[in-house]
Amino acid sequence: MSSSLALLAEIRQSSERRPFEVLKLAEPLLNKGSITQAGDDVWVVYEQIFLSAIDEGQIELAKAILVILQKRFSGSQRVKRLYGLINEAAGHPDESEMLYNEIIDKDETNVLACKRVIAMLKAQGKYAQAIKELVSYLDIYANDYEGWLELVHLYMGQHMYAQAAFCIEEVILLQPANHYYHLCYAEINYTMGRLDVALKEYLRVVELSTDNVRGFYGVKLTADRIRELAKSKPKKDQLYFSLDNVPQQATLERLSQLATERLVGAYSGASTACKAANEEWLK
Amino acid sequence: MPEYVVSSQAYAKAILHCAKYPWAAVQGLFLGEKKEGKFRLTDAVPLSHNWTQLTPMFDVALQQVQLYAKSNNLLVLGYYVANEDPESVQLSASSALFAKTILSINSDAAAFVIDAKNFKTSQAGQPALVAFSYVDSQWKEQTGAFSGSASKGSAKNPATFSLENNQALTTARILVEERAEVGIYDFDEHLENVSLDWLQNNVLNERIRTA
Repeated sequence: MSSSLALLAEIRQSSERRPFEVLKLAEPLLNKGSITQAGDDVWVVYEQIFLSAIDEGQIELAKAILVILQKRFSGSQRVKRLYGLINEAAGHPDESEMLYNEIIDKDETNVLACKRVIAMLKAQGKYAQAIKELVSYLDIYANDYEGWLELVHLYMGQHMYAQAAFCIEEVILLQPANHYYHLCYAEINYTMGRLDVALKEYLRVVELSTDNVRGFYGVKLTADRIRELAKSKPKKDQLYFSLDNVPQQATLERLSQLATERLVGAYSGASTACKAANEEWLK
Repeated sequence: MPEYVVSSQAYAKAILHCAKYPWAAVQGLFLGEKKEGKFRLTDAVPLSHNWTQLTPMFDVALQQVQLYAKSNNLLVLGYYVANEDPESVQLSASSALFAKTILSINSDAAAFVIDAKNFKTSQAGQPALVAFSYVDSQWKEQTGAFSGSASKGSAKNPATFSLENNQALTTARILVEERAEVGIYDFDEHLENVSLDWLQNNVLNERIRTA
């Protein structure tokens, strides 16, 4: 298998959004016909190129690929969804909506089509409706953590942090060992002023992911802020969290020191400007 | 009447930050100096492209930018954001708050929204930026910014905005054409790989100079 095809497979696997690279890799494959080296995988490669083409606004290229796929898989619901996508990209939302609804009418469990309908609402700026539809979707498919993640994103966009926090909690229940979700949860809580939860979650991040720089910044930031707040003895209703729930001053100090140590270690490989800024910040 | 002049480097970097993540909201800061009574925005420091409404890493980044600015005799003069929805050229609630934070550091700061969808089609001399000044306790769009005329409808002391030169627009277009955005690194990326220089993006600066 050629290295281009191997790279394309990697990108498919990681589901990263790198449309420009995909198209660059795909160009010689399509022009020279060497795409056939992919064997049975050629169809998913075509689909991948199609998706990158519409992402890059290359509608003509996308059309050409769609013709190839339609020829091979005429009557396929999967290809029909791609027709929906190209219509979205070309600015024909009504056609897309019709196609997606046809798919759903034929099979109401077609989640990809359901998700496209929600995505279209989002693209049209109808956030309240998108949220409503996604909530209904998640009532049925509560294990779809990607769906919950999208809902986190939608809620954050509306600055509804408490709701976003609830959703990321659902993701954490489904994927407790992934530090990324604890990180998101920590940052949402920090934004809401719940420093006690933020600190705990940042600590979880550095527990799950060695020398996680963002995690340690978070640990130091929250530990220092809690210490400051505890010292100034604010009135209970001024805080969004209870001071009873946080570690003692001594522990907070040690956590802050630990974070400082780890950050200094991590920054030994950084550029001068960044290193200097970090050192200054740590003081 | 505050006058703001945006340099090639500042404009190009903000645009490239937006171009690197076309499906996301991005935000960053403008640094610069006060020279001959005008506020020259000479550089842009890209901050984030993910969870842009959340505050902790914004706090950390801002503190570090202030330290960097101080040691380089620069001022934090502006906040920029490109919204996830390209149709929206307003400051969201979180953006307005972040911009206000910058204002508390420097009362001469302005806010900008990148108008990505008009990047290619904008009229000659018009950058893809919508400018905001803090007036009457809110961020007010300065209509007519960059068009050579003072803002209409705002009573006293309207702010004026201009580009350093027309080369700024050409430079930005060239760089976007050649996909130079792969070379811009923001604080989010720096946190994943500390060897990435988000404060300066020196290699990119060189490319901008020679474009």
